[in-house]
Amino acid sequence: MSKGLQIIEFAQGIAGPMAGARLVELGASVIKIEGAEGDWLRGAAPAMPDNNGESGGDSASFFHLNRGKRSLALGPNPASARALFDALLHKADVLITDRSDEELRALGLEDLCEDAYLPNPRLVRVHISPLGRHGPIRNYQGSELTSQAMAGYTRYLGTHGQPARRLGADVASTGTGMFAVQAVLAAIFARGRTGKGQRVDLSLLNSLLSMKSIHIAAQCDPDVYAGPRVGGANFPPERGWKTRDEPIFFSFGGSVGAEGRPGWVEFVKEIGAEHLLQDKRFDHRGRNSTGHGTDVNALRQVYEKEFARFSADTLVDIIRKHTGNAARYMRADETVAHAQTVALGIVQDVPGRDGSSQRVRGFPVRFSRLKPQIQGVAPRLGEHTAEIARDAGFAEDVVSQLVEKGALRLVA
Amino acid sequence: MQVKQQGPLTGLRVMDVSIMAAGPWTGALLGMLGAEVIKVEPPAGDGTRWVMPTQRGMGTNYVSMNVNKKDIVLDFKTEQGRRDALDLMATCDVFVQNFRGGVIERLKLDYESVKARNPRLIYCAICGFGETGPLSTAGCADPIMQAFSGFARSNGVPQEGVEALRFTGFIDLATAAVATEGILAALLDREVCGEGQKVEVSMLEAALEVQYTRYAELLGTGLVPSPRGSESAAFVPDGAYLGQDREIFITVHNESQWKGFCAALEKPDWLADPRFADNRKRVSHRQALSALIVPVIRSRPAFWWLRVLQRHGVPSSMAHHFETYRHHAQILANDMIARFDTPLWGEFFVGGLPWHFSETPCSVQAPPQSGEHTQEVLEELHGLQATVEEAK
Repeated sequence: MSKGLQIIEFAQGIAGPMAGARLVELGASVIKIEGAEGDWLRGAAPAMPDNNGESGGDSASFFHLNRGKRSLALGPNPASARALFDALLHKADVLITDRSDEELRALGLEDLCEDAYLPNPRLVRVHISPLGRHGPIRNYQGSELTSQAMAGYTRYLGTHGQPARRLGADVASTGTGMFAVQAVLAAIFARGRTGKGQRVDLSLLNSLLSMKSIHIAAQCDPDVYAGPRVGGANFPPERGWKTRDEPIFFSFGGSVGAEGRPGWVEFVKEIGAEHLLQDKRFDHRGRNSTGHGTDVNALRQVYEKEFARFSADTLVDIIRKHTGNAARYMRADETVAHAQTVALGIVQDVPGRDGSSQRVRGFPVRFSRLKPQIQGVAPRLGEHTAEIARDAGFAEDVVSQLVEKGALRLVA
Repeated sequence: MQVKQQGPLTGLRVMDVSIMAAGPWTGALLGMLGAEVIKVEPPAGDGTRWVMPTQRGMGTNYVSMNVNKKDIVLDFKTEQGRRDALDLMATCDVFVQNFRGGVIERLKLDYESVKARNPRLIYCAICGFGETGPLSTAGCADPIMQAFSGFARSNGVPQEGVEALRFTGFIDLATAAVATEGILAALLDREVCGEGQKVEVSMLEAALEVQYTRYAELLGTGLVPSPRGSESAAFVPDGAYLGQDREIFITVHNESQWKGFCAALEKPDWLADPRFADNRKRVSHRQALSALIVPVIRSRPAFWWLRVLQRHGVPSSMAHHFETYRHHAQILANDMIARFDTPLWGEFFVGGLPWHFSETPCSVQAPPQSGEHTQEVLEELHGLQATVEEAK
């Protein structure tokens, strides 16, 4: 049922476009409406190289997040495009927008600000904002970074009292993108039963707090104020265990009960650290001295002294052999090249524009029946303006008038 | 506790035999969307019941990951338990499991073994590294995947090496979010073709999904994500700046915000500086611009900058923590955090609903006690079975 969905994406940046991109792969058709300046993510760094290897075009993030969509560009006087908006929304199944209610009203689209959209009651409308639909600061601007800070994520990196750090991953935006896909699919599912569309509100800040549920619950009224879920903000930076080359993370604890994993004994024997078996600090077979165990920071250096004789990859293999969990801290390019990533077909080469080939990530879920279609071409700003207007029933001379009035912009 | 639902998935039934976080939060999300979710625990219980910290003896992790569910206890190792599991699965629309590789096959609850009994079932299997490949049976956990997926390599500052997020569980919850996308897509597909299917989700692919933009940069240009402190590769300015008293977080996405930023800092001459004429140029002259911004922000209190930047439409905020955000009017007005009481474990706050539906409103419901619904669910199931037998 997601196949054939007609989606209007009046959104820029990461969250809304990410939802649109994943829905394209599930078979939806997406019209991306952009302001006269284009989606601001087009101008982010780094830029994609063009066919000549020059890098002056759209950003890599824009390219990946907008593959398979058609672009309609508004002109400097977008309020004059009201009739076209109405026509597009009348035919659409879904609207994904990050424009505030204030901005929508300025375009004459006040109907969209209500719970029910009377001109097309079947329309599912997903509204994405930085800070939520209601509340005293609902109209303030926000970003990935401000969301991370407000939701308390930056506290779990760096050192308290030292300059703050961000999560390198755009977690607020991508999290919201994933929730927006859910919102669309769930609302379409409900529409199949009720015949009605509805408005769904999401925000970057909300997404991060939803995904912080474990930590929020931990901090309510804990019996003991101990462990990373309550004290983590005050812990030193987590850099794993040093080895001869690269650091690793490893654990013989986890969900294995009070006594740790039996494999820990064989593991310390294999690395020639039998003395740990007699060391009272290392009881419970590694449960407290590995992973997020209570004694990790006190005993880290004892392990590291032994690990100095081994490469990270060798240690990881030994730990896994003895039923522990382990991984080397890899860079993203190493992750892409790893045999496991390759085996899953996570990165694919697909046809791009003008016969080029593009390396892109596939759909993050594998289905036994559904076959997501991975796209390799992102639209230029306004590339499909005329075609979309024509499809919406606007004659060529009317489109020309809209362009003259500054309502629309044709491709440069 | 009676779980009343009115969300978009009302009328659907989910069997959730997963433990820990990634699987259970998948069930919780489906429950929050209105499905009837039956969590099936082994007699020993989901291990998160004992993960620290506890609140009045109950693992807070368990409470947060198992909202909006019923709870029954079945022992899959007994013939009766397995039979009940299969009977229950036959009444469900969705099944969620995250057993370590090989275990589900030994229990004969894998997709191939069960699909004939319920061809409409959406069978969601969640694991660490995926079901094929050299690491398909390797154990995983959030910090392991932070290391493996490059997630930790893009945090911190360059001279200090890797830095993992000390707030663990984020990749687990991201995995649940991806799983829920997959399940919903499969449910819609079933509306058309009438058949269920298997939905495979790995923590690896979810970890890459939350790094969508960083991997886009890598695949598109070869730029390897690297730590930049509080700054980003994509925009300048975009970072934490120290005011007279504390840090303020500021981002400029576009030229309108850049104009607002220069106006707020009373530096109109920066607008005319060709080095800063657009975002790409500002990224190229990152150090030069930072050297100009830092002393200006340092000269006044962060609250001043917050006011004046907001006035000029520039994204900006202070950092918050549990004690401030849980009382924040904005967060309360949008139900971004949920609150409920439990009979045995006291009052809890958990993450709020991530989506707010106008016509099929959802809610967050306290988790049940262990086995609270075993009798109710099994009586219904055995009654149903008796009816089926009689009909034969």
